[in-house]
Parts: sequence; structure tokens; C-alpha cells
Amino acid sequence: MLNLAVRNVFRNRRRSAITIAVIVFGAVGLILFGGYKATTFRGLRESTIRGRIGHLQIFPRPADAGLTDVASLRRTIESDSRVQSTAAQITLMGLISNGEKSESFMATAVEPEKDRAMKAQKLIAGTDLPSTELDAVLLGAGLAKSMKAKPGDFLTLMTTTKSGSLNAIDVRVAGVFATGVKEFDERAVKMPILGAQQLLQTTSVEKLLVLLGNTDDTDAVRRDIERRFPQLDLKSWSQLAPFYHQVVLLFNGIFGFLGLIVFAVVIFSVANTVVMSIFERTREIGTLMAIGTSRARIWRMFFLEGMLIGLIGGLAGLAVAALLAALINNGNVMLPPPPGYTVGYHLKILLQPQILITSFLISLVTATLSSILPALRASRMKVVDALGHI
Amino acid sequence: MHDATILRLTSIDKSYSLGRVLVRALSRVDLEIARGEFTALTGPSGSGKTTLLNLIGCIDKPDSGAIELDGRDITAVPLHRLVHLRRDLLGYIFQTFNLVPVLTAWENVEYPLQLRNVPRRERRERVGRWLEEVGLLAQAKQRPDQLSGGQRQRVAIARAMVGEPQLVVADEPTANLDSDTAAHILELLADINTRTGCTFVFSTHDPALVARARRVIAMHDGRIAPLARAA
Repeated sequence: MLNLAVRNVFRNRRRSAITIAVIVFGAVGLILFGGYKATTFRGLRESTIRGRIGHLQIFPRPADAGLTDVASLRRTIESDSRVQSTAAQITLMGLISNGEKSESFMATAVEPEKDRAMKAQKLIAGTDLPSTELDAVLLGAGLAKSMKAKPGDFLTLMTTTKSGSLNAIDVRVAGVFATGVKEFDERAVKMPILGAQQLLQTTSVEKLLVLLGNTDDTDAVRRDIERRFPQLDLKSWSQLAPFYHQVVLLFNGIFGFLGLIVFAVVIFSVANTVVMSIFERTREIGTLMAIGTSRARIWRMFFLEGMLIGLIGGLAGLAVAALLAALINNGNVMLPPPPGYTVGYHLKILLQPQILITSFLISLVTATLSSILPALRASRMKVVDALGHI
Repeated sequence: MHDATILRLTSIDKSYSLGRVLVRALSRVDLEIARGEFTALTGPSGSGKTTLLNLIGCIDKPDSGAIELDGRDITAVPLHRLVHLRRDLLGYIFQTFNLVPVLTAWENVEYPLQLRNVPRRERRERVGRWLEEVGLLAQAKQRPDQLSGGQRQRVAIARAMVGEPQLVVADEPTANLDSDTAAHILELLADINTRTGCTFVFSTHDPALVARARRVIAMHDGRIAPLARAA
């Protein structure tokens, strides 16, 4: 039966080749887009975590109380081998002024040496935050442009203190950075945490960021910290990264739509091939039935042919996709900046087993499914009519 | 103990529509075929030969009347349930040979045995024997398109006979062959009939084939004409 099905698949080579090519194109499209999606997800996830939010953030309860004994908390958490480092942070908002004009700002106050290690931003002018200077700041590129500020210039930051009164400090622009997100860069300020504490007139910090060696350990480390410090609140990166989830949702939607198109194209293509094959072989079907072939066996024969086309197409799709992925990954292909970003990035295809298996199964299952009805039609033919078919 | 009659048709009527016209293909046909007969169905085109062969070969059903094959009344059995009977009891030879083009001569002959799940060793023995019978063992690995018309019909005969059927139905088996080849095929069929005792019913226009038949059934306008000649 299998032998006969294989030979029938290659009976009309040109038609089978076109059908298989359609399946290969579909599978390659799915695999490459899936691989691109995986690279984007991973890149966005890691850059969000390691550059901005950390794997976990620890807050006091209530949130505005501030973390006071940070040093002992940090010692305990950093004793876990899965933890790479911790970083204290304060976020604050206020007005920034150059004497001529004022703009609102959103500042992230960081430990300068930790921030340098995180490589959170790309400097486009000046230097990173120095470890000892309390009044040095980094400005987002858009804000620096708006303030007409360059490294070495002095600006004034003004905000409300913890007690509710107004306070201001003069700061020196150490450098200018760009994250790639235009709206963020138009408001962003980075400053040393000690400077922020001075501005806010506090000794506490807002939160402690925990960075792990491996993102997959996030949930386990979170459980351990929660068990040891039940009085503290924890948030994982997944809770703090709505943009990441929006991107995932968008890409998954596109991937699903693409999958649906491939599904439809393969269905019609394989069904057409099987129908044409049945039409050409009607008299043969009649002969086979006349000499004692059962309906079920005729059905199985055409079903198997559809399945074989899907199998060959799916496997060829894997091979072609792997080849193209290798070419793209080594080809240094640059993509233009996505909406809201100012810098482009390298096109990389990550061949994950999950995507390869899904694409292969879509090819195989779709081709097999699309042969069911034509095969059923073939098996229901009246022998006399089939034998009389010209 | 087998009944001496392998096939009994009683008062068979069969019509089919051709566009809007209802064509009466068979009308009140009564026929008995004894085991071992070598019977020719003759008559002009449209006389009902092929329709009668289709009913005998269990690939079509009558509108009314009764069919008994090998002692079994199959009148009410649906066609798709007759598949086992066609596989185990009957053999078919077609005017246009109807071999499976992607299979070799050997594989074409082997196919009916695969349907019956005959063990590989027995299949090899029987296929080899029948290809030798029809003189085509040397061409066993050739596909139908590499064989002449006469050779293809020999393969078709081997395919029909390899299952050791009780009754072989042949629709114009020599119509697509030149006269010399047709004579050889005819000789082969008659020889197989004599040696195996297998019953043959075939339709033909060929006077040579009619002359060799031990019984001739003449058909006219869907009826068996009175000039039927018995062996």
C-alpha cells in the first residue's frame, strides 16, 4: 500500500513538485517568522530585564514607606548563587530647568557602578555616571536636545520631598543617552541614588532590583525570597513589562494569521492535487474495486498520498528554512527601527524546536486533512461508472 | 459437493438513464452458467452484453430479478459488500487491459494476492507460476508502458487467474489486439479453461473467439436471442 502510494505521488512529478513547493514555502514562512519572533521576544525580554527592570523588584509594604535596611536585605539575597546582583533604585518626577525653560522629567536614581554594569543605556555623548559625584546626571537624548544641554552644562532639578515641601538641586550633565524609545528619551534623567536621596530628603530607597543569571529561575527565586521576607512585596519582570506582553500578543496574532493563510493555501493545493489525481485515475479506481479492493483501502491509498505529500513538503520545509536561517543569521541583515524606536537592529532567526515541530506538523496535518474528502469521494465511486470513465 | 451451476440469473431487468432517455439494457433475462463453461456473449453494440457482464461480475445491480452466484443469493446484497466475493471468487479481464501503470508486471499480478493477505512466499510462487503460464516471466520487472498490447493482456490474464477464481468475466478481451495476438490470447484462455476448469464468460464481436466458444449466447435488444448454441 505504502509502495503504491509513494509511486502514485511521483506519478505526475510536475504536479507533485508544485504542491510540495507550496508546502515548503508555507513551512519556510512559518519557521522563519517564528524564528524571528523568538529572537525578538528573547531580545526584548532580556534587554527589558537587564537594562531596566531586573528579574524581580522588592518593595516595602506599604510601598511609600521606603526600604530602610537595604544592606542586610541585599546581603541575604545575594547569598543565593542564582542571584547575579542587586541594585537599589528610586524613581522620581519633577521639573528640569536650564534657566530659560523648564520641562517635566522622570528620573531613575541608580547606584552608578551597578548601572554601568547593567549597560542600561547607550551613551551618545559624555560619560557614564561617576561613582562619587552626587550631582552628576545623564539626560535622555530628546530631553538634552530640548534643554539645549551638553556634557558639562549645569541644570536644576526641582521636585517635592518625602515630607511634601519643594526642593531643588543643581546638577552637572555628565552624559547623554538613548534607549531607542523616543517618548522615554524626551523625559528621561538618570542620577546617582545618593543625589536623589538628598533631593528627596530621605535615607530610604524605593525598591531593590534583583538580577539573576538565568531568567528561567525567576519564579523559584521569587518563592524563596517571599518565604524569607514575608513582610515585603515582590514583582516579577513579567508583571512589570506590559510592553513586552503587548509585543508578544501582537506577534502571536500575526503568527496565527500567517499560520491560517498557510493552512488554507496547503489545504487547497493538496486537495486540488488529490482531486486531479483521482480524476485521472478514475478508471484505475474502478478496476481496483472490480478486482476486490475495498472502499476503505481505496480511501487509505489516497489519504496516504496526501499524507506523503505533506511529509515530504514538511521535511523539505525544515531543511530549506534551516538553510535560509543560517544565511540570514550570517548575513548581517539590518532591519529599520520599529515604531517608537530610533535605532534599527539585526535580523536574527532563532530556530527553536517548538517552532520547527509546529511548522512541520501544520504541513503534515493540513496536507493529510485536505486529502480526506477527495479520498472519501474516490472510495464512494460506483465501479461501473468509474470503469466507463474516459 | 458443489452445485453444477455457478451462476443463475432469473428474470433480470436493468435500465439506465442516458440524459433524459431511459434505456432498457436488459429485459427479463434468464441465464444459467455451469461450472467449467467457456461461454461467449455476442450481439451488436447496445445489445446488453456489457450490462449483463457487469451483473455477472457483481459490479452492478439489477432493477429486478434474482442473481445466485456459487449457491449464494446475492440479489439483495449491496455492491460494496460484494467486494469479498469479487476478490475471492471472480476474475476480470478488460478490453483495455486496465493494469496499474505504476506497478510492474509482477506487482500487477501480485496485487490481488496482497488483497487476500497471502503470505509472501506463496505469493512469489503463484505470481511466478502465472507469469510463466502466460509467457511473461522475462518481462516481470517491466511496467505496462514497456509492454505491447498482447503482453499487457497476458499480464491482465495472469492477474485474473492468480487468485484461482471460480469464474472469469472478460469484456471484449481481444478487441484491442491485432488478429494474430488475439488468436494467441484466445488460445491461452481456452487452454486455461481446459486445464483449470475455471468458468469463462466473455463478450466478443470476434468470430474466431465465437467459433472457439463451447457455448454462445447471442443478445439482441437486451434479451437473449433464441439462437443460443450450447456446447
